[in-house]
Amino acid sequence: MTNIAMVEQLRLKFPGDDSLLFKDLSITIKKGEKVLLLGPSGCGKSTLLQTLSGLIPKSIEVPIKYRNIQYPESWGYVFQDPDSQFCMPYVDEELAFVLENLNVPRSEMPDRIEELLSAVGLRLDLYHSSIQSLSGGMKQRLALASVLALNPECLFLDEPTALIDEEGTKQIWESVKSVAKDKTVIIVEHKIDHILDFIDRVIVFSYDGVIIADDDVNTVFSFYRKQLQEYGIWYPGVWDDYLLSFESNAGHGYNHSLILENFKGYRKKEINVQLDKASALSGEWIAVVGDNGAGKSTLLLSLMQLLKTSGTYVLNGEIIQNIKQLQKEAYFVFQNPEYQFVTNSVYEEISYSLTVKKEEPSIIKERVDELLAIFGLSKKQNHHPYHLSIGQKRRLSVATAFVENPKLLLLDEPTFGQDSKNTFHLLELLERERQKGCIIIMVTHDSEIVKRFATRIWEIDNGKVVKDWKNEHVLHGKDQVAYEQYI
Amino acid sequence: MKKGLKLTDILVTIVISIAFGIVYKIWGPLYYAVKPFGLHIDQLIYGMWFIAATVAFLIIRKAGVAFLAEVAASSGEFLMGSEFGLEVLLYGVVQGLFAELVIMAFRYKRYDLLVVSLAGIGAAIGSIFMDYYKGYMGDLSTWNFMLLIGFRLIGSVIFTGFMAFGIAKALEATGVTNLLRPASKEDYDALNQ
Amino acid sequence: MNNTFDFRETWLHKINPSLKLLTMIFLFILVIFIHNLNQMILFTIMTMILFVFFTGHPYKRILLFSIPFLFIFISTTTSMIFFGKGDTTILRWGLVHVTEESLFRGIHLGFRALTYALLGLTFALTTRPVYLFYSMMQQLKLNPKYSYSFMAGIRLMPIMIEEFQHIRSAQKVRGVRTGAGMNGLFHLFKFTSIPLLSQCIRRAFRIAVAMEAKRFDYSKERTFYYKIGFSKVDVVFVGYFVVLTGLSFYLAQEFPFFPVTDVRD
Repeated sequence: MTNIAMVEQLRLKFPGDDSLLFKDLSITIKKGEKVLLLGPSGCGKSTLLQTLSGLIPKSIEVPIKYRNIQYPESWGYVFQDPDSQFCMPYVDEELAFVLENLNVPRSEMPDRIEELLSAVGLRLDLYHSSIQSLSGGMKQRLALASVLALNPECLFLDEPTALIDEEGTKQIWESVKSVAKDKTVIIVEHKIDHILDFIDRVIVFSYDGVIIADDDVNTVFSFYRKQLQEYGIWYPGVWDDYLLSFESNAGHGYNHSLILENFKGYRKKEINVQLDKASALSGEWIAVVGDNGAGKSTLLLSLMQLLKTSGTYVLNGEIIQNIKQLQKEAYFVFQNPEYQFVTNSVYEEISYSLTVKKEEPSIIKERVDELLAIFGLSKKQNHHPYHLSIGQKRRLSVATAFVENPKLLLLDEPTFGQDSKNTFHLLELLERERQKGCIIIMVTHDSEIVKRFATRIWEIDNGKVVKDWKNEHVLHGKDQVAYEQYI
Repeated sequence: MKKGLKLTDILVTIVISIAFGIVYKIWGPLYYAVKPFGLHIDQLIYGMWFIAATVAFLIIRKAGVAFLAEVAASSGEFLMGSEFGLEVLLYGVVQGLFAELVIMAFRYKRYDLLVVSLAGIGAAIGSIFMDYYKGYMGDLSTWNFMLLIGFRLIGSVIFTGFMAFGIAKALEATGVTNLLRPASKEDYDALNQ
Repeated sequence: MNNTFDFRETWLHKINPSLKLLTMIFLFILVIFIHNLNQMILFTIMTMILFVFFTGHPYKRILLFSIPFLFIFISTTTSMIFFGKGDTTILRWGLVHVTEESLFRGIHLGFRALTYALLGLTFALTTRPVYLFYSMMQQLKLNPKYSYSFMAGIRLMPIMIEEFQHIRSAQKVRGVRTGAGMNGLFHLFKFTSIPLLSQCIRRAFRIAVAMEAKRFDYSKERTFYYKIGFSKVDVVFVGYFVVLTGLSFYLAQEFPFFPVTDVRD
């Protein structure tokens, strides 16, 4: 077989970094191969993809050096973030943009657009649909379609499903499999459930960008399981390998209660989410599930009093009517951690709310040091929050939530886009808080988390909490409270 | 500097400027809300309308960026249906041009508070030049005209100078601006070790 | 941003966007040279007819958009009326000195500002930015690297506004209180600008890379999905202004409602 992409003795260094990301790395990809690159975050997989396609150094200036390099003659690249790879507002216009780049005559464009969309299985009533109205999974399939317009012999897929829910992930891989049978495909991905039958070669990188394995799927998963677990790869069976190591705890220090009755949240004066009747007690972990746009996030925003609400909302005996009352009581962890950062260092970030309240400096220091240690951020305490890795940013945003021991913790998909290692770490921290008596309400798309951690599930459909049931499968929740009787 | 701006430079400039365009639009109602107080108190906040030029320049640090930023910000404001209508677009062009000229006078080599403050004053002079013809400014009583100019210049230094500098510094600290900085020779040398 | 809500497409939408823009700029300059209050008022009425009847938006919305015009009018007129030069005193009160000259000049400025607002909004309400930039590439030879960057930036506008709201909510949860007034505004700006701008920079950078990955090469010839040319409505549009400008000048000469011919004197 002939080679399609290759680099020999690659050296690469990001400006400002202390050391080289790659030192004399060599890799050869053969025509028609389906290759999966695995490794811990920050090991340089995406960077390698960008180098093999030539995006580095042509579009992204990064110092590199190599003895020899071969780029594929034609290639397409799908990126991770569905919101930052389009330049046009409408589906047809975005595809037309690529066709214009290729000098395709205008008269041929409508047919080509139709062809590309049906190739990736994106069925729309109207090709002139707003991209913003599509779900994440659909956007990524559009990205794939726009890349197919280039007629590539090689596809680079750079974590295309990292920010996509389960359903969308499945659809994206279905599309890829149907269009890429006879193409070369090089994939970087953490969530690999759906592609293992498609891949014929797996390359595993270590933390310092060195290849530690390069073999077929079976060999790699039999011999390198430990490394994959260590690197946070979502390989099949990772949940089973992951054992909950802490004891389940029957009693807890606090007894908090939440009562909701005829509770409604409004957006632009219209009822956006409602919940007829529910109550919760300390130690409950409620997973909020439902389709995209059903009103899950709206429910959390309403509970945090960030939207207008009506009905009864009682937390620990106090009727809640505005966000100020929730200041020490409840905390909301947003999907994007950066939104919540307000200072210039990790330490200040955790101490912020205590400093604002003018607490004793010694008390502040003690509390912050404790949290830094629990969250594994002690070494990073003087870093700017933006300099942290995705996993560390997420942990920092949860650490700021724990500062004042909230009685009610609201989380909007906190494990979204995280690798398995960070996910487990985070879930353990939340579980510990639950055992201490915190009521956790969390929006998630991940059925494994729902199955294994939630003590209770709220299902939202069309802006209404339609189901409320106890989770029988939960592995460790032996201390469930019979909430049905509480009301 | 290579010829012209790269696509990344242009896109970053335009996107952040359009974000400022949204601020410009919100600034309109605020401006005419304080205006009826008279005595040109409103002029003290006029400087906000030049801020895209200096922030973008401090981030990208290349020729043409200040001008492009001010044009992009005012286009964003215009397309959102600004109360000032067409005016904002043409003012944007002139203000951006004047700010650019000041920065050019320093040969695009200085990115400090002084340069951006002066660029703010430059933009303010551009806007006063427009106002002079459009708003019969010369027909205000002299003391009133001087008051207007004084306040507008002070406002420009506050917003276009100090505030823009503060924002750029805070952005620098987050590390995102590294994306846009060319790699240094040391970085390339490190490859050979 | 007329693509966010429904409207009826009228002949104003079909005008070549570059021609529309250039005509508007020409009218802007023309208006600077109108010093006769009567002409100014007639000219304003003429632009108002286009805005009210031909933008294709429902009257309720037109009315809503017109509210700021009132503020613009008042705020533009007042400083000139109160502080403008003039000899024929009407009122003197402390620093305020209203004269007949400054009064007329003030009103003139009010109408001028109103005309600019009307022209601008008429343009914004009847022009899709994507068509404008396609037209500018085809008729005005604007470099595609600028056009597509502008289109990408405009596409991100609603995303940025949404993001701004998220950031505010997130910071409220952190206990950031910005307070009211000018001071509060500064705080709000300080706390929200950094997360918002850093997100903008990253997003813009990634989009640029993605565009180049899709073989965007601005130095090459390219075909266009939308071919934008000229048609009869372009003649009608230019004709409208030529005829009515002439008419307004004529009427202002023959049937003036104010005795002022030049507000500068």
